[in-house]
Amino acid sequence: MLLEIDDISVYYGKIAALKGVTVAVDEGEIVALIGANGAGKTTTLKTISGLRSVAKGAVRLAGRDITNVPGHERVALGLCQAPEGRGIFPGLTVLENLHMGSYIRKGDVSADVERVFSLFPRLKERQKQAGGTLSGGEQQMLAIGRALMAQPKVLLLDEPSMGLAPKIIQQIFEIIQEINEQGVTVLLVEQNAAQALALAHRAYVLETGRVVRSATGRELLNDPSVRAAYLGGDISH
Amino acid sequence: MSNFVDLFWSSTIDGLTIGSIYALVALGYTLVYGVLRLINFAHSEIFMIGTFASVGTISLFGLSGPASGLTLVLVLFCTAAAGMAASGASAVVLERVAYRRLRTRGSSRLAALISAIGASLFLQEVFALRWSNGELHASGRDYVNSERVLEKTELFSIGDGIVRNDKLLVFVAAILMMIVLDRFVNRTRLGRGIRATAQDSESAVLMGVNINRVVVLTFLIGGAMAGLAGALYVVYFDQTRYIIGFVLGIKAFTAAVLGGIGNLRGALLGGLTIGLVENYGASIWGAEWKDVITFSILVLVLLFRPNGILGEALGRSKA
Repeated sequence: MLLEIDDISVYYGKIAALKGVTVAVDEGEIVALIGANGAGKTTTLKTISGLRSVAKGAVRLAGRDITNVPGHERVALGLCQAPEGRGIFPGLTVLENLHMGSYIRKGDVSADVERVFSLFPRLKERQKQAGGTLSGGEQQMLAIGRALMAQPKVLLLDEPSMGLAPKIIQQIFEIIQEINEQGVTVLLVEQNAAQALALAHRAYVLETGRVVRSATGRELLNDPSVRAAYLGGDISH
Repeated sequence: MSNFVDLFWSSTIDGLTIGSIYALVALGYTLVYGVLRLINFAHSEIFMIGTFASVGTISLFGLSGPASGLTLVLVLFCTAAAGMAASGASAVVLERVAYRRLRTRGSSRLAALISAIGASLFLQEVFALRWSNGELHASGRDYVNSERVLEKTELFSIGDGIVRNDKLLVFVAAILMMIVLDRFVNRTRLGRGIRATAQDSESAVLMGVNINRVVVLTFLIGGAMAGLAGALYVVYFDQTRYIIGFVLGIKAFTAAVLGGIGNLRGALLGGLTIGLVENYGASIWGAEWKDVITFSILVLVLLFRPNGILGEALGRSKA
């Protein structure tokens, strides 16, 4: 397994946000974490990126225990995240935001910038604009593009569909698939379960800090209890 | 009012001179605030340390009178370097001792503020200590005079105002240093890291930015700027004192707030504005009103335009 989250528990003060979550991501996969608000999806991703400390359990990347590696050092090891709410630097230009993605890298990154621009042509048009002036969809593209600039082994995406119009969501998900087909492993957190399950090879269902189901995306998509809980009952697919 | 007209050009020259010192010190407040949302009230003492380091460095040369030629350049360079090094290093130590633990443990801003004031008083009292007869005394409360480095000569005049070489030196050195800093922050990778951290520190960590290193760098740069201000102050006034930073520091803070705290160019604008306004005011009402004028500006800005003239740029919009 490329990324292993092994039975981790995370606390906010005395309140347990994660109570022994185990998730594994294999190389080349798209894995989705779905669940309701407060289930612990974002906390899981923040813990993987080292923004939250672990009370119990371990995080391993390519077999190496990184549980106690500080967050900023995990980028060089191959983890980069497009966080919830996008986390764009509002006062930096689009290009400067992208260069923040390659902050830890040495040498010329212009080929990577071009690659991001070819995935998201809109960003190229707006490269000199301040990040804060972009629309929500453009900011999400920038957040994903910026994370790609780090050349991650595992790309972590936290709610890329949040607050976006259905058409833009469709576009973003197609690009995630394209990125994956180019060889980037993706761990995706989504409330938009239908889209996420259709895209993901495998998925985990989180409820109040625990994994309650895990199966292939297709299996969960057709599971009556999952449909009832996360897909708004009977929707046709 | 006639005094204002008569003294306009000399007030302008004096205002720009002292204003550029305020501006250099204001940079430290604004940088640290931009990154940490913390007012480093001990920054005035960082400036004070720079003045003492400068006085000490000048005395090492054992000048018999004002220097000239290459000696002058050497003394000025060493004084500036010593002031910047001493203040920069002190600022880094200050961050380590007074702020870091509070920050990493997520304590309230009030705790950091109290720590800042404590550090400020501590440093003042340390520099008031003198060693005599094998004992420490808190007797160093008078001005410490420095040997005069630069023979103060009149270069040229603008209107009725006379431009002296030391005033021009202070102004030019301060402006040059601020251009260098502006370029560093806006054009380099590390500068981008500072701005990114100021705008969204959690995202910065996700991009691999070591926040602690950025914070240290911020204190180092802000301290070095205050140290240069200290060196220029000593060259200009030929003296210092343990409490020299107190009023000057609050004026520099006012300058930072006036320009828009967190905004580097705002610090320059605010510093020069404060320098000019207090000198114009002094020409009308008398020099004893300088401090009243400055602090009235602080109150008015906080009441009517708390984001300052330019707003906060390091943190929010484009810097």
